[in-house]
Amino acid sequence: MADVPTKTARAEWGTRFGFLMAMIGAMVGAGNIWRFPYVMGNNGGGAFVLAFLSLLFLLAVPGLMAEVALGRYTNKGVIGAFRDVVGRGGMVGFGVVVLLVNVALMSYYSPVIAWTLYYAVHSLLFTFTAPGFEAEPFMTGLFDNAALMIGLHTVVMGSIAAVLALGIRRGVERVVVYAVPALVIALVIMAVRGLTLEGATDGLAFAFTVRWEYLVRSETWIAALGQALFSTGLGWGIALTIGSYLREYDDVPLGGGVFTAIGESSVGILAALAIFPIVFAVGIEPDVGAGLAFVSVVQVFPEIPLGGIVAILFFVGFFLATFTSGLLITEVSVTTLAEETRFTRTQTVLGVCGGIWLLGLPSAYSVEVLDYLDFVFGNWGLPLATLAIIGVIGWVMGPERLRLLAVNQNAGIHIGRWWNPVVKYVIPAVMIFIMAYYAWEDFGSREMIGGMLVLVLFPIIGYALMSVLEGRGGRPDTAGVTGGDD
Amino acid sequence: MALTAEVVGMLAFALLAFWGIPAWALVRTLRQEDRKVEILKHQDRMDTYSPGSLAELREWIENNPNDPLVDEARQQHNECVDALKHTDMHFYDWSREEIDRLERV
Repeated sequence: MADVPTKTARAEWGTRFGFLMAMIGAMVGAGNIWRFPYVMGNNGGGAFVLAFLSLLFLLAVPGLMAEVALGRYTNKGVIGAFRDVVGRGGMVGFGVVVLLVNVALMSYYSPVIAWTLYYAVHSLLFTFTAPGFEAEPFMTGLFDNAALMIGLHTVVMGSIAAVLALGIRRGVERVVVYAVPALVIALVIMAVRGLTLEGATDGLAFAFTVRWEYLVRSETWIAALGQALFSTGLGWGIALTIGSYLREYDDVPLGGGVFTAIGESSVGILAALAIFPIVFAVGIEPDVGAGLAFVSVVQVFPEIPLGGIVAILFFVGFFLATFTSGLLITEVSVTTLAEETRFTRTQTVLGVCGGIWLLGLPSAYSVEVLDYLDFVFGNWGLPLATLAIIGVIGWVMGPERLRLLAVNQNAGIHIGRWWNPVVKYVIPAVMIFIMAYYAWEDFGSREMIGGMLVLVLFPIIGYALMSVLEGRGGRPDTAGVTGGDD
Repeated sequence: MALTAEVVGMLAFALLAFWGIPAWALVRTLRQEDRKVEILKHQDRMDTYSPGSLAELREWIENNPNDPLVDEARQQHNECVDALKHTDMHFYDWSREEIDRLERV
C-alpha cells in the first residue's frame, strides 16, 4: 500500500446539482437515445426491463460508487489515483490503460457527435419536413462525404476544446446544467406528442409487453448486461474524474451511484416512450438498429403535425446528449495529463483534443473504421479499463478500506458490507466473462484479433511507459492544481 | 389497439423504477446539501459519519492495528468524534447519549 494520499488544492463543482448533471451528462449518450429503445423492444420488452434493472442494481450502482469514491478519496485523475493506491512503479501503467482506452473511444465517438450535430443543424433548417426529402440518401450522403465528415469532426473537437479550456466550473458545469435538463425536456415533449398520435399504443405495446420467455434466454441477459455496464460508463475513468472534483462534504453513494446509474437509464426509457409511439403511429419498422434514429425516426417527422418542431427537439436533444458525453470523456485525459505534466490546463486541452482529432480522422473518413473500432473497444477495451479500475479498488486497495474511508464518509445512505464482494469478485468476473464471450463469439475474426491486440498491447505500453517515467524519479513537480481557473 | 393490463402495469413499473428512484435520490441529496450548507454556515465543521458507519470504522481500526491506512482511519474517526462533541448542530441522527459514549481511538 502506498503512502496516504495528499489532498491537493484543486477545482470543485460549484453545486451538487452541477456534479449530478455532469454524471448524467457523461453517461447519457447515443446509446441511450437510439440503442436502448430498440434493444429493449427486441429482447422481450418488459422482460428486458426487469433483467436490465436487476443488473443495474447488482453491478452498475456499486461499481459507480466505487469509482466516484476513489476519485473523491484521492482527489486526483486516473494515473494519480492509481499511484496513490498501488505506489510508484510500472503498475501505475494500468491507469495509462484507462487513459488510452478513453482516447481511443473518443476518437471514434467524435464523428458520432458530428452526425448528431449535422442532423441537429438540419432540423433547425426544417430539412426533414421539406418536400421531396428522403432519409436514407441523406444519411448515406453524409457518411460518404469524407470532407464534410472531417469538417464536422473538427468543429466538434474544437467546440469540446473551447468548453474544456474554460475549466470545470466555468466550462463543463455551465454546459451540463443546461444541456441535461434541456435533453430531458425535449424527450418529454416528444413523448407527449407521440402518445397523442393515433396508433401510438402499438408502440407502447411493442416496447412494454412482458414476454416472459425472454427472461430465460441468454441473449436477453447479454444485451441487458452490455446496456447496464456500458451505458453507465462504469470503469471508463469518467466517474473517477468527476468524483475527484467533489467537495469534502459531498455524498458519494446517493449521487455517484444510485442517481447516476438509474437516472441515466431513465433517459433510455424516456427515449423509448418518445420514439416507439411515433414510429408505430406512422407504420415504420422499429427493429433497425442505429438506423432507427437516423433513418426511421427521420421519416416520421413529415407525417406528423408539428413534425418540424419535434425534429428540432429530438435532434438538438440527441446532439446535447452526445456532446456532453464527449466533453466528459475528454476531461478524463485532460485532468490526468494536466496533473502529470508541467503543461497548463489550456495547453493540455489543446494537446489532448488535437491528438483525438488526429486519431479520429480515419473514423471520420470511413464508417467501416468507426464500426470496427466501436466493436473492438466496446467489447474488449472498455471491459479492460473497467477491470483495471475495479481491480485496483477490489484487489489492491481493498473495498472495505474504500467503503469505510470514502464511500460512507459524509454519505446520505449507509452502504453495508454486501458491497465488498460485489466490487472484489462480481464486477471483475463479469468483465472477464464479457471479453471471453465475445472472443468465443467472434473467434478468429479481425474484430477478435483487434480485441486481443488491445488486451495485450495496452497493458504492455502502460507498464513500460510508467516503469520508465517513475524510474526516473517520478513525475515532475506540479502545482497539483487542475480544473483550470476555478 | 387497447393496451393490456400487463403492458400498463409494466409501463407504470418502469416509470416508477427509472424515474421514481432517481427523483427520490435527487431530491434527497439536494436537501441534504442544503442541510450541510446550513450547518456549515452555523459552525465551521460537522459530523462526517452516521452512528452505524462510525461504529464500523472503529471496529475496523481495532481489528486492523497494523494496516497501512489505520492512521488515516483513526484520524477520520477522531475528527468525527471531535466534531460531534464540540458542535451543536449535527447532520446525522445522533442522540446525546450516543455522543457521550463516543471516545477517540
